[in-house]
Amino acid sequence: MTLSHFIVLSLMLCAIGVHGVLTRRNLIGILLSVEVILNGANLNFAAFAHFRASDPTAGAIFPIFVMAVSACEMAVALAIIISMYRRKRRLDVYRLEELNG
Amino acid sequence: MGDYLFYILATAVVTFSLLAVSLPNLLHGAISLIGAFFATAALYILLQLEFVALAQIMLYIGGIVIFMLIIILLTTGLGSENRHKVPTSRRLVGTGVSGFLLFGLLYAISGKSSAVLAENVSRAAPVTMDAIGLRLLSTRKDGFIVPFEIISILLLVALIGAVVIARRDSGQEEKT
Repeated sequence: MTLSHFIVLSLMLCAIGVHGVLTRRNLIGILLSVEVILNGANLNFAAFAHFRASDPTAGAIFPIFVMAVSACEMAVALAIIISMYRRKRRLDVYRLEELNG
Repeated sequence: MGDYLFYILATAVVTFSLLAVSLPNLLHGAISLIGAFFATAALYILLQLEFVALAQIMLYIGGIVIFMLIIILLTTGLGSENRHKVPTSRRLVGTGVSGFLLFGLLYAISGKSSAVLAENVSRAAPVTMDAIGLRLLSTRKDGFIVPFEIISILLLVALIGAVVIARRDSGQEEKT
């Protein structure tokens, strides 16, 4: 169990999340994939705090801020999803074409 | 011992995350995300960061995933509606980009020039909860009181914004 193990693990989580963002069609599915990416980033913070940091407390505090910001993002995104569902009755990103440039 | 535990937990995290992004039913995806977050919390405990593990369980599993499950049930009815076929070209592009990202970054960090991975077996002391609490509220130069307060304002703004956005406009619903 070394730092490189954790880096490879969080890299795999990041790639899995990017794959989900690119292939999901549903808006909620995309949000779920973003959570996977954030999870990988938090794991990386924790691993660096454990193995490398001269001040591990700061590395333990940062994932908590990431979680709080992620909770805010989730609240606003889900409110947008609800109002969009009320308008269009569907959440398929291929059909949401109003913002096509 | 720690190595075997790490491999078991890492396999669990990767498997559950893969299931979460690839299962066609969103409800099953959100539930497997719960499994991935639990395994990640166990990894945090392995890294001697108990507070982060507890925050992970309470915030992510108890808050965000449950919230997501409620929204899935409200909008897509047991997650089975909105099940669309993804075109093969899009699936190929997604796999290609994520594979390129994975192997490119692996190649980048495993290169000779990166000094990040040198001498990485030094174990830090466990981070205790009272250290985190004192640090989070200290007003000294290395304290985190300013981001803490800003986060509280951000949470308030996000809550009010969510209520305003999701509020049913009067008269709009009847017309459509």
